[in-house]
Amino acid sequence: MKSVIRVSCGILIALTFTLFEAEKTNAEYGDIVMNNYSAKAEMRPVVFPHWFHRIRFQCKVCHADLGFKFQAGGNEINMLKIIDGEYCGACHNGEIAWAIENCNLCHSAKPGTPTQVHDSTIQKLVAPTFATDKQSKQ
Amino acid sequence: MILNTKMTSFMSLMMMLCVCLSAKAAKNGQAIVKENCAPCHETGVMEAPKMGSKSDWEPRLKQGYRNMVKRAVDGYKNMPAKGGNPLLKPEEVAMAVDHMLVKAGLVETDQPTTDKKSATDKKPPTKKVEKDATKAIVKAVKKKPKKTANSFNRLMKSKSDWNPPPQEDGIHDPDNESTYMLQTPREAFSDIDKNPFGNHVDWVKALNKGLIDPRFDRLDPEKSGILMDLNIIREVKGSMPDVVYPHKQHTQWLDCSNCHPSIFIPQKGANSISMASILMGKQCGVCHGKVAFPVAECRRCHSLPKQKTDLAR
Ligand code: HEC
Ligand code: HEC
Ligand code: HEC
Ligand code: HEC
Ligand code: HEC
Ligand code: HEC
Ligand code: HEC
Repeated sequence: MKSVIRVSCGILIALTFTLFEAEKTNAEYGDIVMNNYSAKAEMRPVVFPHWFHRIRFQCKVCHADLGFKFQAGGNEINMLKIIDGEYCGACHNGEIAWAIENCNLCHSAKPGTPTQVHDSTIQKLVAPTFATDKQSKQ
Repeated sequence: MILNTKMTSFMSLMMMLCVCLSAKAAKNGQAIVKENCAPCHETGVMEAPKMGSKSDWEPRLKQGYRNMVKRAVDGYKNMPAKGGNPLLKPEEVAMAVDHMLVKAGLVETDQPTTDKKSATDKKPPTKKVEKDATKAIVKAVKKKPKKTANSFNRLMKSKSDWNPPPQEDGIHDPDNESTYMLQTPREAFSDIDKNPFGNHVDWVKALNKGLIDPRFDRLDPEKSGILMDLNIIREVKGSMPDVVYPHKQHTQWLDCSNCHPSIFIPQKGANSISMASILMGKQCGVCHGKVAFPVAECRRCHSLPKQKTDLAR
């Protein structure tokens, strides 16, 4: 019993601290980390930089023409879809932008970083930046 | 980056001391584990490798000692960064890991080895970790001016932290060589009008001045869409100015189908919009507060001053 209490205290304290850790990152507003499958496949999670792409393309190119839903992690992107020319693969095909053999340009997040929109209002109000995988799945 | 860039130089100096005195400090491995790691690692909750269990630890050690320390420092799956104690220094976390490996019978001692001959592959390369940590500390001390009691920007990003290079931004992995090939936003933005919030640039001005020219079509740079110049005024109760929703600045970036009908019914006044739902990421908050300028910029939406009579109501 005692150890159960100790464990739950430990977890609670741990969670409180991760909340404070949220202050730590300084990434660009709108950077999206995608980690539905990457960690499980032992790849670094993917960082998608909105700022970089919106200089080159209007939102509608991705969010209307290519069908990206407005939800981080909500598109179930995987490598098969990409090599078949869907999602990132519609451009990262060696014609419009560099091709997918450059794994680590996309798979560039710190290992363990959960799916998130960096610096979002919600993140600032409630959710920790370095939440564990489980928390990020809400 | 292992080290929190916000670390004060005082703490960093303390850390340097710790590195210098590590032979002495290493004795605390046990204490650090007891205070920070034991709640999970004694009991093995959430599949945490258990203290003293060789079979729990051996396969993990095989994946590399550095990797283990890194995971313990950065957090991994159900384990929070530094076991949930951000005050722990990376070296202390490494000491704790050493201690757990000793308990599991995988290394003989958690004293840092000075004897080169006894350093086998399996032995934790404590020296290397210390060296890396020292390098990082020196960098942090050099970069961060001392914070005094009267310092500003305690809870706010200072201007020098805007648009940092990827390897310093906290989500990109500085150990990934490709990270250094990515563009630094600060450089890309150098000619664009600055703004205190969001990406720290004003995208509307950048577009209208022609500083950026985002394609309307994925393939054809010449194609362009039709702009719709229709303002919708939403009256706001209370003192805040009314909201002007401009179709023009939106159709410069978006397709009608991005908003209609999934987010808004295309009929003036048909949608009930509130600040609370915007803050929670609904309605205007689908984009504002994530990619388009954030909620903090009240005046850009609340742009129509009220008539005096309105306020008197
Ligand atoms: C090059 C393609 C591309 C462009 C251009 C682009 N986006 Fe995105 N957007 C994405 C991707 C990829 C995601 C993440 C989807 C995922 O994780 O499955 C995303 C996610 C989002 C989200 C969801 C965030 C959340 O709530 O989880 C919003 C909102 C968004 N984008 C808005 C915009 C806006 C506004 C623009 C234009 C200024 C824009 N995007 C331009 C590719 C793009
Ligand atoms: C509409 C086309 C398009 C789509 C879709 C797209 N990209 Fe890109 N991306 C580009 C272009 C163009 C570049 C710049 C290439 C260059 O400079 O050679 C680029 C560059 C990048 C970069 C490098 C940025 C830098 O700092 O140099 C990353 C990372 C990246 N894309 C990730 C992604 C990911 C992840 C996805 C899918 C979620 C994606 N992109 C989808 C067009 C696209
Ligand atoms: C243009 C960007 C991009 C490039 C380049 C890229 N990936 Fe991915 N990759 C993604 C995205 C986006 C996901 C989905 C991320 C998630 O949700 O975990 C993904 C997921 C994965 C996954 C897990 C899902 C699956 O399909 O099995 C693996 C494994 C993977 N990538 C391997 C690679 C390898 C290996 C390379 C280089 C040959 C590579 N990726 C290059 C964007 C990219
Ligand atoms: C909140 C519970 C919790 C706390 C507190 C905690 N850990 Fe863990 N730790 C875990 C869990 C769960 C795993 C197993 C992760 C997995 O592989 O799924 C783990 C795994 C590890 C690993 C193995 C990582 C690998 O490479 O597989 C190391 C090393 C470690 N912890 C060190 C520490 C140290 C050092 C501390 C104290 C500073 C600590 N942990 C505190 C839960 C915790
Ligand atoms: C960024 C989101 C967004 C985009 C993109 C957008 N609209 Fe709207 N639209 C709105 C909002 C918000 C309203 C006001 C609804 C309300 O008052 O409840 C509106 C209202 C309307 C109305 C009703 C006007 C009236 O007086 O009743 C029409 C018609 C309309 N939009 C057409 C379009 C067309 C056509 C496009 C594409 C060219 C478009 N919209 C693009 C957000 C958008
Ligand atoms: C689908 C995404 C999306 C939605 C939903 C959306 N906006 Fe926008 N909005 C944008 C983008 C993109 C811009 C361009 C500026 C930027 O990115 O910072 C913009 C610009 C604006 C501007 C122009 C500011 C200026 O300086 O001229 C106003 C005002 C504005 N939005 C208000 C609203 C209001 C009010 C709502 C809700 C009724 C709303 N927006 C909903 C994406 C969106
Ligand atoms: C993206 C555009 C946008 C931004 C930014 C914005 N608001 Fe609003 N605000 C709205 C809209 C739309 C409404 C709803 C108006 C209506 O009733 O139709 C609203 C309503 C309100 C109301 C009335 C009460 C309510 O909840 O509906 C208050 C008060 C308010 N906003 C305060 C603020 C303050 C303070 C800020 C800055 C921190 C701010 N707003 C930033 C769009 C915005």
